[in-house]
Amino acid sequence: MSVTQILFWFLSILALFGAIMVVVSRNPVHSVLWLIMTFFAISGHYIVLNAQFLAVVNIIVYAGAIMVLFLFVIMLMNLNKTAAPKRNRWLKLAGGIAGGCLMLVLVAALRDSELKGQFAQVNTGDIGLIKSLGKELFTTYVIPFELSSILFLSAMVGAVVLGKKD
Amino acid sequence: MNVLLISAILGVVMMFSSFLIKNTATVRTIGITGTIALLILNVLEMYGTRLFNINTAGFLSFDRFTLVFISIAIIAMLVYFLLTAKDMEKVNKVNYAEYFALLFFILCGIVLVSGFESLLILFLGIEIVSIPLYVLTGSDKRNLKSNEAALKYFLMGCFSTGLMLMGITLIYGAQGTFTVELFNFTKNIDSPLAIAGMLLLLFSMAFKASVAPLHFWTPDVYDGAPTVFTSFMATIVKAAVFFSFFRLFNDSFTALAPQWQFWMAVLAALTLFIGNITAVFQHSVKRMLAYSSIAQAGFMLLAIFAMSGIAKEGLLLYAAAYSFASIGIFSVLTKMDDYTFDGFNGLVKQQPLVAAAITIFILSLAGIPLTAGFLAKFYMIQAVIQAGGHLWLAIFALVMAAVSVYYYFRVIQAMYFKQGNANIQASNTFKYTLLAVAILVVLLGIFPNLITNWLYF
Repeated sequence: MSVTQILFWFLSILALFGAIMVVVSRNPVHSVLWLIMTFFAISGHYIVLNAQFLAVVNIIVYAGAIMVLFLFVIMLMNLNKTAAPKRNRWLKLAGGIAGGCLMLVLVAALRDSELKGQFAQVNTGDIGLIKSLGKELFTTYVIPFELSSILFLSAMVGAVVLGKKD
Repeated sequence: MNVLLISAILGVVMMFSSFLIKNTATVRTIGITGTIALLILNVLEMYGTRLFNINTAGFLSFDRFTLVFISIAIIAMLVYFLLTAKDMEKVNKVNYAEYFALLFFILCGIVLVSGFESLLILFLGIEIVSIPLYVLTGSDKRNLKSNEAALKYFLMGCFSTGLMLMGITLIYGAQGTFTVELFNFTKNIDSPLAIAGMLLLLFSMAFKASVAPLHFWTPDVYDGAPTVFTSFMATIVKAAVFFSFFRLFNDSFTALAPQWQFWMAVLAALTLFIGNITAVFQHSVKRMLAYSSIAQAGFMLLAIFAMSGIAKEGLLLYAAAYSFASIGIFSVLTKMDDYTFDGFNGLVKQQPLVAAAITIFILSLAGIPLTAGFLAKFYMIQAVIQAGGHLWLAIFALVMAAVSVYYYFRVIQAMYFKQGNANIQASNTFKYTLLAVAILVVLLGIFPNLITNWLYF
């Protein structure tokens, strides 16, 4: 097993474990911390794929900005104790079965997908580098890029509508 | 393309007028004039006049079918503004111009979802449609029901958007491209990646269009949102989502039809059943209309199932018939205090003109001949029969249309045959606009060519 493979397995287990702990933790602050760990593990994956720019952006935007927002919300709502209401056991069971079925079907379907055996470009790909990313974004994908400005504008107007004092 | 850019600019204009113009009447006039300008620009584009020359190959394409649909959406929006723009003041006067801005941004999203050529644009369009809608749902900030509806809609909507992204990713993995034209499923038709992606996209679109097993958010959200905005999202937005649903499965996933066609029939039958049967038990007209919108969604699904020229024409006609009639009823509902069926008791004595218009709208929704709704349903069922092999679906749809008559006619019964003194504050302009829309519905029922001929000439 090469170093990259060991890294891959380590990061994958870390990401999955973190994600499960996010759901299982009773304390919301712990959930947020586990989520940060998941994001770091995913950023590690990006680095393994030689996409340093994506890895850094992922850490800055998700682990940095969004997680701080989460913590603020938890603080404002004063959820630091185990405030989660007791859930119905049947509901839990139904949710578990439904989610498990979806996972089973997806795993069974994708297990023999046509991509089996085609490995990712480890270490060598230049897709995630800032130069090629910028070039793609401003040449091939310039139309969706520009159109997304409408999305941000509408989100901004929406935030003003909801936040403005009557 | 004209409409997309000008509508975005109109949104920005509205944004600025919120602090430059204090008079709501002026804001309204700008909004209505802008919508008329959009309609003219769109019709001009149909005949080859483009204001902008942008190469959007592989991302957006506006063929005749799409442009006709966009025209219908703009006309419906014009009707919506003329009938109910004044009532938006009741929600919150301070944010009046912002509401217009958000509605114009939604129109941009509608143009994107109806003209998409790439799954990226579809995703962007769905998001541009959804995010302002979450805000509009919660715009009645002091009302707990509105808050609850907004939060519910937002959380469920985010979840289904996640599903959609996952689906797009899997399809990208299978095909190596986002562009619909370059999809080639015939090579290996049972590729698990493509089918899993297609199914995820099916579920997320079904959620956005409130198709049966994923419809649970619809009644709560439509009931909780301010009635003015319910009117918009239950009609124009819903028709647009259906249009993109149709284009996605008929243009992009044609080759995969054996995989999804049967399930589409099952979904249609389930939607028709649940929507119609639950609507029977409602006491509030607003909630009844929410369930009726689910039931009408079942009929629109028949077009996606049938995949033919008639289904195309039928979908356009259905979008127009359903939107105009529902906007008309909602516009009266916004002016009422009591949303139960009893709230309509004896309306005919106070407002005979309004009652007559509502009757025409209801007849159209129920699919009674000589109204647009009848021909729309007729086209759909004809398309199903011609598609062959699923006669049970056509018969089932007919039976369900008969069930719908029961709950629709309760409104007519309340207006004409029950004692009461329901009344609304309606200006003369409102009454005559409502009557004009009612006449339009009847005209479409007699001459459906008014719409379908646009496709060819």
